[in-house]
Amino acid sequence: MNKKLVGFLMIFVLLAGILSGCGTNSASGGKDKKTIVIGAAMPIFDDKWLSYLYDAIRAYDKEHDDVEVKMVDAKNDSGKQLSQVETFISQGVDAIIIAPADTDTAGPMVDAANEANIPVIIVNRKPDDKAMKKIYAYVGSESLEAGTIQMEKVAELIGGKGNIGLMNGQLGQEAAAKRTEGNKELIKKKYPDIKIVREATANWQRSEAITLMENWIQSGEHFDAIVANNDEMAIGAIMALEESGKRGNTVIAGVDGTIDALKYVKDGTLNISTFQDPMGQGKGAVEAAIKAVKGEKAPKDNFINIPFQLITKDNVDEFIKKWEK
Amino acid sequence: MSNPMSSPVSTIKENSNKSIWKESIAPFMSKYGIVFILLAMIIVMSFMSDTFLRTQNILNIVRQISFIGIVAMGVTIVIITTGIDLSSGSVIALTSVLVASVAHPGDSLIGALALGAGIGIACGAVNGIITAKGKIPPFIATLGMMTAARGLALLFSDGRPIPNLSESFMFLGKGVVAGIPVPIIVFILIGIISHILLSKTKFGKYTYAIGGNEHAAKICGINVDRYLIFIYMYAGLLSAIAGMMLTARISVGQPSMGVSFELDAIAAAVIGGTSLSGGVGTIPGTIIGALIIGVLNNSLDLLGVSSYWQQILKGAIIVSAVLIDSRKNKKS
Repeated sequence: MNKKLVGFLMIFVLLAGILSGCGTNSASGGKDKKTIVIGAAMPIFDDKWLSYLYDAIRAYDKEHDDVEVKMVDAKNDSGKQLSQVETFISQGVDAIIIAPADTDTAGPMVDAANEANIPVIIVNRKPDDKAMKKIYAYVGSESLEAGTIQMEKVAELIGGKGNIGLMNGQLGQEAAAKRTEGNKELIKKKYPDIKIVREATANWQRSEAITLMENWIQSGEHFDAIVANNDEMAIGAIMALEESGKRGNTVIAGVDGTIDALKYVKDGTLNISTFQDPMGQGKGAVEAAIKAVKGEKAPKDNFINIPFQLITKDNVDEFIKKWEK
Repeated sequence: MSNPMSSPVSTIKENSNKSIWKESIAPFMSKYGIVFILLAMIIVMSFMSDTFLRTQNILNIVRQISFIGIVAMGVTIVIITTGIDLSSGSVIALTSVLVASVAHPGDSLIGALALGAGIGIACGAVNGIITAKGKIPPFIATLGMMTAARGLALLFSDGRPIPNLSESFMFLGKGVVAGIPVPIIVFILIGIISHILLSKTKFGKYTYAIGGNEHAAKICGINVDRYLIFIYMYAGLLSAIAGMMLTARISVGQPSMGVSFELDAIAAAVIGGTSLSGGVGTIPGTIIGALIIGVLNNSLDLLGVSSYWQQILKGAIIVSAVLIDSRKNKKS
């Protein structure tokens, strides 16, 4: 009995020693150089938008001698991603950045890292509330904000009053609900003279938006603006309005800043789009990881907001360049 | 003499009254009930919205349903054989991205159209061969195609839309001939062809025979496998045609195109009186079914009904149509 107890205590002390040793090691950087090693588990390399996020992370690695990032591709397989995170843990990285292949399976990866006392930063894809509490920070953009800044610009262009139609994305999806909520919240707070005369879903689809807009036009309602949850639906509204010769001064706004949409912004048919900033998210994630390693306090609600950017004809070239790169 | 006569006369009268109801009015109602539903919707809407009956609105409705209507005609023929085709929406997407990639300005229009038709026929042939020769239920075979074709579309397009189509190609979706939009013309043409195919040819007779009793059809010497494969190829071709027109209409090839199109097409067929247990269904019925969906969508948008309620109402209409359909089947 006694021997067992002593053995157990010895193992415990040893473990505690190793763990605390690890902690001081990475905090003070006991190695030759003060290098912070970050593991970045990314969902899929083959994605245009995400590639800018990856580029920003790589650029940070290049520009800073004291930071080294190891980036891996899960090929959209959450099982593979978990094993990649486990590899990072056994390699003893200082922090792990995860863009989950599947937000529902972020939990086990976070737990595994936490057990090894490695801070986790999740980027771009928001995990569930349970996982949110266990991570150092989530770096991403607030869908609600896309709706707010989009509506703010629309309100400015129509002079703070008028009739608008809202085109929703697929009902029940978070991005659709939040963007619409952002639209409505702003109207409620600041623009009592803007009236939502029509609201319906076109399921993110251009073709369905054409149908919806055709029907709205036939209803005889006048629209000062059409505010859509994404660019595809906004383009559908443009096509239907132009085909019927009823475009007039109608302001049309989308969200996403897709390459196709930027062309419409450039020729002036799409008035507004908003852009979720991948470079900002990538850079923000690395910066958060470094703060976590240095032992700085976690941000409020574990959330670091990377603001949406507004796209209009004035600054559209800047965004076109990003896609052409 | 008059007294004893009176009672038989009255019974005869009663009988004939009953038989008129049983033999002509009731079948007439169950056969054309769906037409009355459509007419009732149109009449009600013409009172509720003064813009509903405008020519432009009617043209809009027919053009809006022409894509789903074309797909639904292929699906109808498949369902008559007790089959199902879940792959329509994905075949539309695959056609969309592949055809868009060869329909840029300067490309041959004929080449693009031939490629599109080829893709549809090939996907249909795979569905048909797996179903007929592999003896795999069509639900599973076409579910596989639905998943795989969508994957192929995403793979080929890298998940992104393919813009920059030639004017001549876009004419298919946006063009107007003699005041009638091209998709409507194609819709009517395919409607006529499909109707003749199903009601006037050996192919049609065999299709109903396979649906009525596949075993019996085989015993009667019908080459069931060959006809099944041909039927799925035809359905695939119609999906591809709808896919090309929709691509032209929105002037971009999209891997996300046609999501849940198959369900709308099946709904149109079922509302139009096609029985999922096979052997029953007509092309005019399916066209009416598609029109009901189109008028319903248009009306609810015109009246500004919320999208949530729109879905609930559509669901209710589909189920009621099947209810009518199952009562009809019990009677016969």
